[in-house]
Amino acid sequence: MQEATFLILTALADGSQHGYGIIAEIQEISGGRVRLRAGTLYTALDRLRADGLIGVDREEIVEGRLRRYYRLTPEGTRRLAAEAARLQANARAALSRLKPSGVVT
Amino acid sequence: MSGPSPLERGYRRVLACYPKAFRRESEEEILAVLLATAHEGQRRVRLAESADLLMGAVRMHFGLSRSPRPVLNAVRLMCAGAVLELGALVTVLVTLGSVRSAIVQEFTAAQWHTAMLTQIVPAEAGAPIVAGGWLWLAWANGRGYDWARPAFMALFGLLTIGLLIGLGDALYAPADLIAMAVPWLVGLAAIVLIFSKTASPYYQQEPVQQ
Repeated sequence: MQEATFLILTALADGSQHGYGIIAEIQEISGGRVRLRAGTLYTALDRLRADGLIGVDREEIVEGRLRRYYRLTPEGTRRLAAEAARLQANARAALSRLKPSGVVT
Repeated sequence: MSGPSPLERGYRRVLACYPKAFRRESEEEILAVLLATAHEGQRRVRLAESADLLMGAVRMHFGLSRSPRPVLNAVRLMCAGAVLELGALVTVLVTLGSVRSAIVQEFTAAQWHTAMLTQIVPAEAGAPIVAGGWLWLAWANGRGYDWARPAFMALFGLLTIGLLIGLGDALYAPADLIAMAVPWLVGLAAIVLIFSKTASPYYQQEPVQQ
């Protein structure tokens, strides 16, 4: 799973979000490191919808403009959980091997 | 009542590059996000934003947002193949003088004239068409049309014939043969990808409609 995909799914893990909300959440989750642009975001959302990992939760009109909220599907939740566990296991293995070098505590 | 801002008009102009179906469903939504993420006092679409949106538009047109990784890579190779095909055309034109000098002993002026008319001119005239074929099949494969893979095989067959003819022909310089072999190799790599186990199910689904 690509990092952008992982971050989008993570941004939706605790509730539905609209496009701008997803961008803001990702910026926060990544500590400001990742700032998705609109073109990249909507290409990814299109793919995730096609793959059945996210769906449209609801639509609102705010200040005359369409705001569409996205949510994780059960399959999206399962895939995110599996990917998070995989990354966690890898990170744990890396950290334990780095311990003797003293780079990490 | 004031109309849309120059920035909004700029965004709409770039968004016009997206497929109609996508714009119908998502233009207003993506526009709202673009305006919300614009910098304070921004009046024009920035270069990086345009590049990102145009890349997104290309991906949507080619169906790349939904295609599996091997198909995505194959489409990239096919686009590269189109460029390389035109590169081969330029190489043949550039080396034509040196080829003429090298074979001046073997060919009379009439023979050279005939060879030009029957081989080089048709090959050169056909190169842009073949490049167009690469792009058309990149589009078709990206969208997952079931005929796209056999059609690309047919194009690859033509490339193979062209390369074999070139190898046995004194009219081409070594540089020409290399320039012809590179797109052939790119085509071969694309075939391996589109016929891979991961890619095959994509061609059995309903093609991407955007």
